[in-house]
Amino acid sequence: MATLKELKQKIASVKNTQKTTRAMKLVSTAKLKRAEEALIMSRVYARKIDEVMKDISAKLAMVKENINIRAFSVIDNPKVVDLIVITADKGLCGGFNIQTIKKSKELLEEFKNRQVQVRLKVIGKKAIEYFKFAGIEMEQKIEGLSAIPDYEKSAEVIEESYQDFVEEKIDNIIIVYNGYVNKLTQEVKVIDLIPIPVDKPEENTFVEVEPDDDYSTILESLVKKYIEYSLYYALLDSLAAEHSARMQAMEAATNNAQEMVRQLTLQFNKARQEAVTRELIEIVTAIEAMKKQ
Amino acid sequence: MELDIVTPLGRIFKGKIKSATFPGSEGEFGILEGHAPLVTTLKPGVVEIEKEDGEKEVIAINWGYVEVSPEKADVLVDGAVPVTGESEGEIKEAIEKAKKLIKEAADSATLVAAVEARIENAVRSL
Repeated sequence: MATLKELKQKIASVKNTQKTTRAMKLVSTAKLKRAEEALIMSRVYARKIDEVMKDISAKLAMVKENINIRAFSVIDNPKVVDLIVITADKGLCGGFNIQTIKKSKELLEEFKNRQVQVRLKVIGKKAIEYFKFAGIEMEQKIEGLSAIPDYEKSAEVIEESYQDFVEEKIDNIIIVYNGYVNKLTQEVKVIDLIPIPVDKPEENTFVEVEPDDDYSTILESLVKKYIEYSLYYALLDSLAAEHSARMQAMEAATNNAQEMVRQLTLQFNKARQEAVTRELIEIVTAIEAMKKQ
Repeated sequence: MELDIVTPLGRIFKGKIKSATFPGSEGEFGILEGHAPLVTTLKPGVVEIEKEDGEKEVIAINWGYVEVSPEKADVLVDGAVPVTGESEGEIKEAIEKAKKLIKEAADSATLVAAVEARIENAVRSL
């Protein structure tokens, strides 16, 4: 049985922890709100560029029989693949990071079995730490980008991969991250960025392209924009999910601390009552003993 | 026809329009309902929109794409500033912002001057 003093200290310490977790929850709630707004704003553009991309590529596939752009080709047996893994820089957000890491491990395993070489590019301290610990080689490590998504910086990262893709050094770019669904749910997403599948248009459509004879330039720049934006969007999505995961984790921690304080207080009261009773017995016995004398 | 203008930071315009003119990279062009399908890049300049109720709107853009089909036009731009406002002061502020956007994007002083003149003109005719 713990002494009264020990219990008192324990209660104080748990209460302190609770204060911290509650503060962290509040911070995450505020940050989530901002991240969510940014995400919603950019979702419009992400969807539109997706739509326009598919539409244009389908129409052009119809008009110009062979679009000689690698991004639209079908690559059946990829030999080298770029795997971009996005996690948070910080922990204390439940299973947020580990889910992404698990998924990327699965993918790594799968590619290994298919004898595909994987170039691992990792964004976020948590995944970097993990892969370092596991002794898995990383092609590129980027810290600080997942906490503050920056268009220019993310474009730089993907630009390299894209260049290698165009030069046929790699055959596929895949992004893995934990995305935001709503305040309570996150979902691990695996995005097959490139090559982009070209749908066959339903009807015989005709489209004019300006500058006229240079449709490949327009398509190439659109593809570049598309993949740049896809990574940026993934970063935003991941950030919102991170904050929502942390908010939940901290809420659970606060509740657990509350429960612990309750239990400890109960124990403390019991122990105190015990002490009081013991003391009373002692006094009464002493009085009785004196009476007899 | 439907017009939809989006930037990485959100949607700038969405709605039914009568007509619109764009600063295409091959020259300025206008669209009406039933326009032939077209894809082109845009250069820094001004998009002028006439909405269905006849109301006009002016949006300065820096760079982007437009995809036109007979019933709708989708515009993807890097940056856009709508030149509108409730009061004189707000409009003035919007014009300054629009000019800044163009200055950062355009590569020649002539283009900047031309676009600036367009903005001022367009605003006067609002």
